[in-house]
Amino acid sequence: MRRGYDVFIGILFAATVALMPVALYLIFVNAPEEKVMGAVQKIFYFHVPIAAVTFLSVFVLLAGAAGYLWTRRAGWDHLSIASAEVGLVFCTLVLITGPIWAKPAWGVWWTWEAKLTTTLILWLLLAGILLSRAYASAPEQGARVASVLGVVAALDVPIVYKAVDWWRGNHPIVFGAGKTNPLAPGMLSALLVSMLVFVLLYALLVAARMRLAALEDRLAALEDAAWRSQS
Amino acid sequence: MELVVFGFAFDLDTIRRMGPGKIVPGLLWMTLAFSAIVGFTRSFRLERAREALIAVALAPIDRGAVFVGKWIANFALLLMLEAVLLPLTALFFDVNIVDVAGPLALVVLLHTVGLAALGTLFAAVVSRLGRGEALLATLLLPAATPLFLSAVHCTASVLEATSLSADRKWLLLALGLDVLYVLVAVLIFDAILEE
Repeated sequence: MRRGYDVFIGILFAATVALMPVALYLIFVNAPEEKVMGAVQKIFYFHVPIAAVTFLSVFVLLAGAAGYLWTRRAGWDHLSIASAEVGLVFCTLVLITGPIWAKPAWGVWWTWEAKLTTTLILWLLLAGILLSRAYASAPEQGARVASVLGVVAALDVPIVYKAVDWWRGNHPIVFGAGKTNPLAPGMLSALLVSMLVFVLLYALLVAARMRLAALEDRLAALEDAAWRSQS
Repeated sequence: MELVVFGFAFDLDTIRRMGPGKIVPGLLWMTLAFSAIVGFTRSFRLERAREALIAVALAPIDRGAVFVGKWIANFALLLMLEAVLLPLTALFFDVNIVDVAGPLALVVLLHTVGLAALGTLFAAVVSRLGRGEALLATLLLPAATPLFLSAVHCTASVLEATSLSADRKWLLLALGLDVLYVLVAVLIFDAILEE
């Protein structure tokens, strides 16, 4: 069983490593340079997949947290830990790559637009969940607390998006422009392959983190047993 | 106290010039949020100090009922706080709230229900972790974003004496959030009480 899981991680690793250079080639060599924005536009192929994966991680977090509250099986909690941590890393990357592109494209680093604001709020929610788990006096308590917060946060995120959208109104500026203009064929394939690579990378990191969490649990159980047999 | 600080931070002239709808709703809800956070943390402090939460958890009732009790208590406390804060805001910032008392009460009530529910749930979490207001603020403020957006928006429309019917979607959102937060909290509260 455990060996099968290791093979699964190995396959994910191999696929990610194999496809990553392909994505880089498609992005930097094959895809045509955007006329107006120039080389800056290349960050689009990283930013968009990372953002998509960030929001994917919220759904995985919801599944893990709700699954744990329902069944109390450690495996669900490992999924919730892994998704929250990897999600936070990806969310940080979104918040870094976004402004780098926004400054030359929009002229500002930041606007209070729905997608940006939601990502920032999501970052705070994920950080709060991890913080609370770290504060727990026992891992079991941490798992319950993080699951409760995870469920609330994951349900909250779409509502935050909708609310900020109403509050700010739809900005007709550049954000919509990339979508109405059909991407050049080279651009589309670069984006799709990049998306695939990031989804694979996410799955790999989550799978590895889940394995680590299982090992941590086992180590804690062994230490506990050793401590008991000594006393 | 916070209102006084805001009173210095934003000159009354500025507020008058911009119209009450621009700044006052934000001041009001920020003050409420921070005061509420202190109140929420207190609501579990007594139990924690005497380990009474274990006794509460042992009581032969559904744990959701414990949440509902705490939520109603916090809701009542928030209402009392608002009963003081609203007239003070009106007084300090020269806003006429008597004419719009009905819609204003509706808006405040609607958003207080959800704030009390989310605050109670998170305060229980923070209390279990043995932490205080700082962690509660970190958790509650981002999670309550949609509620605050709706609250500030609706309060602004009320103060500017525009008809609330234009804000039906915001009011529906607030109502939906109230229901969602209470429902989720009742369902998952027992995970927090568990030892």
